[in-house]
Amino acid sequence: MPATDPRKPSRRDVSRRTFLKRASWTGAGMTALVVGAGRGRASGQATAAASYPEWIPASTKPPKRGGVLTRASAWDPPLIDPRLTQSVGLYQFAGLTSNRLVRYALSDEAGGPSDLTLKGDLAESWQSDSANRVWTFKLRQGVKWQNVAPLKGRELTAADVKYCYEAYAKEGVQTFTFQEIEGMETPDKYTLRVHLKSPNTLFPQNVAEPIAIVFAREVLEEDGDLKKRLIGTGPYIMKEHSRKVRVVLQRNPDYFDKGRPYIDEYVILSTPDDSTRKAAFRTGQADFIWVASPSEVEVLRKTNPNAVVQAYHNTLAPFGVALAQDKPPYNDVRVRRAISMAIDRQKQVDTVFEGHGIPGWGVPYLYYQDKAPTLKELGPWVQYRPEEARKLLAEAGHGKGFETTLFYYEYFPQMSSQVQLVQQDLKKNLNIDMKITKLDYTTYYGRYVEGKWDGMSWGFQSGHAVGLDERTYHYMYSRSTKNFFRVNDTVIDDLTTKLRRTADRNEQRAITKKIVDREFDQVLRMWMPYDNGFLVFQPHVQNAAARALRRSDGYGSPTLARAWLDK
Amino acid sequence: MQKYVIRRLLLAVPVLLLSSLIVFGLMRVMPGDALIALMGESGNVGQKELAKLRKDLGLDKPYHEQYMLWLWQMVSLNPGDSIFTNEPISVSLKKAIPVTLELAALAMILGITIAVPIGVLSATRQDTTADYAGRVVAVSGLSIPDFWLATLVITFSAIWVHWIPPIGYVSFWDSPWRNLQQFLLPAAVLGYRLAAATMRMTRSTVLETLREDYVRTAWAKGLAGRIVVYKHALKNALIPVVTIIGGQLGTLLAGTFVIEQIFALPGMGRLTVEAILYRDYPVVQTNVMLVAAILVTLNLIVDLTYAWLDPRIRYQ
Repeated sequence: MPATDPRKPSRRDVSRRTFLKRASWTGAGMTALVVGAGRGRASGQATAAASYPEWIPASTKPPKRGGVLTRASAWDPPLIDPRLTQSVGLYQFAGLTSNRLVRYALSDEAGGPSDLTLKGDLAESWQSDSANRVWTFKLRQGVKWQNVAPLKGRELTAADVKYCYEAYAKEGVQTFTFQEIEGMETPDKYTLRVHLKSPNTLFPQNVAEPIAIVFAREVLEEDGDLKKRLIGTGPYIMKEHSRKVRVVLQRNPDYFDKGRPYIDEYVILSTPDDSTRKAAFRTGQADFIWVASPSEVEVLRKTNPNAVVQAYHNTLAPFGVALAQDKPPYNDVRVRRAISMAIDRQKQVDTVFEGHGIPGWGVPYLYYQDKAPTLKELGPWVQYRPEEARKLLAEAGHGKGFETTLFYYEYFPQMSSQVQLVQQDLKKNLNIDMKITKLDYTTYYGRYVEGKWDGMSWGFQSGHAVGLDERTYHYMYSRSTKNFFRVNDTVIDDLTTKLRRTADRNEQRAITKKIVDREFDQVLRMWMPYDNGFLVFQPHVQNAAARALRRSDGYGSPTLARAWLDK
Repeated sequence: MQKYVIRRLLLAVPVLLLSSLIVFGLMRVMPGDALIALMGESGNVGQKELAKLRKDLGLDKPYHEQYMLWLWQMVSLNPGDSIFTNEPISVSLKKAIPVTLELAALAMILGITIAVPIGVLSATRQDTTADYAGRVVAVSGLSIPDFWLATLVITFSAIWVHWIPPIGYVSFWDSPWRNLQQFLLPAAVLGYRLAAATMRMTRSTVLETLREDYVRTAWAKGLAGRIVVYKHALKNALIPVVTIIGGQLGTLLAGTFVIEQIFALPGMGRLTVEAILYRDYPVVQTNVMLVAAILVTLNLIVDLTYAWLDPRIRYQ
């Protein structure tokens, strides 16, 4: 009988008993290894997180020309028409293909992450009349559109900007900002005069937002939309846009800022999976990456010990508990205050954000004070005081608690833990039964912005804006279409309107502080702890640091016009 | 045979019609709105503007009209444009289908190449270390989810060998070597599950066949072991294996959805996932119908293969 006869016993037979025994020992060994590795990581992270700087100053070396900067990106632009989207997927590069009238200081010009100085971009200067209703922008002369058909390098004029702003006001997602323009004139090729419907001292900040890029009229007229071509005046020309594959930007040799940009090509690789993005960074396929937590930084640094880490400066929290405050029981300020006091924010900072995070506020603190507020400074209703919370809720007639709902979309993994901690706190301290519904993005977004929901939502404010006007009037004025938290407070309405009419910087700070105090006193938006995370760069990447509210891989991409590769 | 094929093709029509109704209905009952997803990021979506867009896109029509219009578009092989990008769906599919096909084909080749020899080996060396090892590999393949295995593979490749497949899809015709680098790892991960199921089935059917009288006769005639196993036993053992491979094709296509996300490949999976997230109705509907049509066709092919493998089978 041949050796392959299956019925013949073999000398290498392994009994089931032996096999199970060996498998158990192997399993036990593996478990011990995993547990050991986990412990090692946890103990090292707290000390490391504290040591990462919030700012990386500009390199003192002379910049080198050339090279290719590559990044694995979570975002794929849904479409490239700036009238139709404010998605970071588009603005991770649109600020490099196109310019705005004015801009914020770039990394090599800024004194630190909090520097929000306005600089001229397409405009050389700008000023308003005494009533702050007419703004005159003097454009830079000799700015050329990119040398691509149908523009073919023709000169940019004030009429181009006028056309663009009119298109923004006519339709799309930017109508709220641009519909405040009553009319525009172009007395000459290089002057744009903007007449506003009401005074606004903060109008230049609004047109400095990355979403206010100036697009080419010829493209809109020829194509009927801007979904196929993105042609601007910026430092990079869009050479390729293959959806779900890559965006390739090529240096614009005719860029008005002579000698810049330094890098020849910027390649953004569409990489939806987080572990793949990290693997790309580890293997050098990506030059920089954003990670959420200190422990993730530590894990990355094990394979890339020379990586340069920037702790992204926390200036605000974009997420918080939004209450249907136009309906009972949340239209009662006592209920809002009780809920706020029943939530242990410090516990969230310590556990969910590994001790590296802020307790949460909505208006960037830079606009009203120099240092980030502590939990204590945010007022009495933010402190964790469950006893007082219980009493206050009883006073409001809900001593036995009540049932409510909360829906959310998980923007980042830690968010689900936060939601569950809030649920736990409210049940334990106030006997509020909160039913949580986790939704996909589109369902969440549709329901949230429609603003007709009951109960609670894990609310947000958009991430694209830096400006004070956007962060106050646009998000809190009762009749604003961006008032997602359903704030309806006459004091806030008066203050935000007054702020727009106030030119003096110190007065602006004082009014902003009043707005913030009022917001916290009335618990109009119940901010939750947040951490902006970390940017990790390969050691050869220079001048790409993120500024406050401006991540270099996102809405802050224009700063990459000043980045260079030291290799 | 011809009559059988025609009958099966005719039977496919109600199956596809039912699929079209299900996918059309599901997309409409799903909460969320394509236009909110498209316009809603600023929050300032005017009702008038939404109404205008709905009209432009034909979304204001009654459901039955929308369905009939879409059905006509499908029959006339012109599935329309994406709501989001305005790109004709046929163009998106032309880009995505080759990616998914290449991934699925490579996965299948790898899976079968690994599974059948190991399955045979496991059967011919029953209850030996080799058999146990093969069974552990097979059970692991069935129990480990694709996404988890893919994540582990990509993470540990980066840590241990400092290499991962190059990100940023390149077609085989542009750069064969780079393309293969991009596909081998994901195909191996995807093929592992297929291999696992096939391996187990091969083992058990070969074991069963080896106990048949005609195999015993072959042994008694003094034929070489290789001839007995591969010529006499394996071919007859393959029918259930082909069935299981056919059944796994659906799983394989579903697996591409996850694998394409992780390995950043722009195939049908990513196209569909993104379209579902953005409620891009025409894209989702077309993609699902295409997958349904592919599965119906593949099942037919699998059924026809039986006759080739076993001449005793006749189709009437």
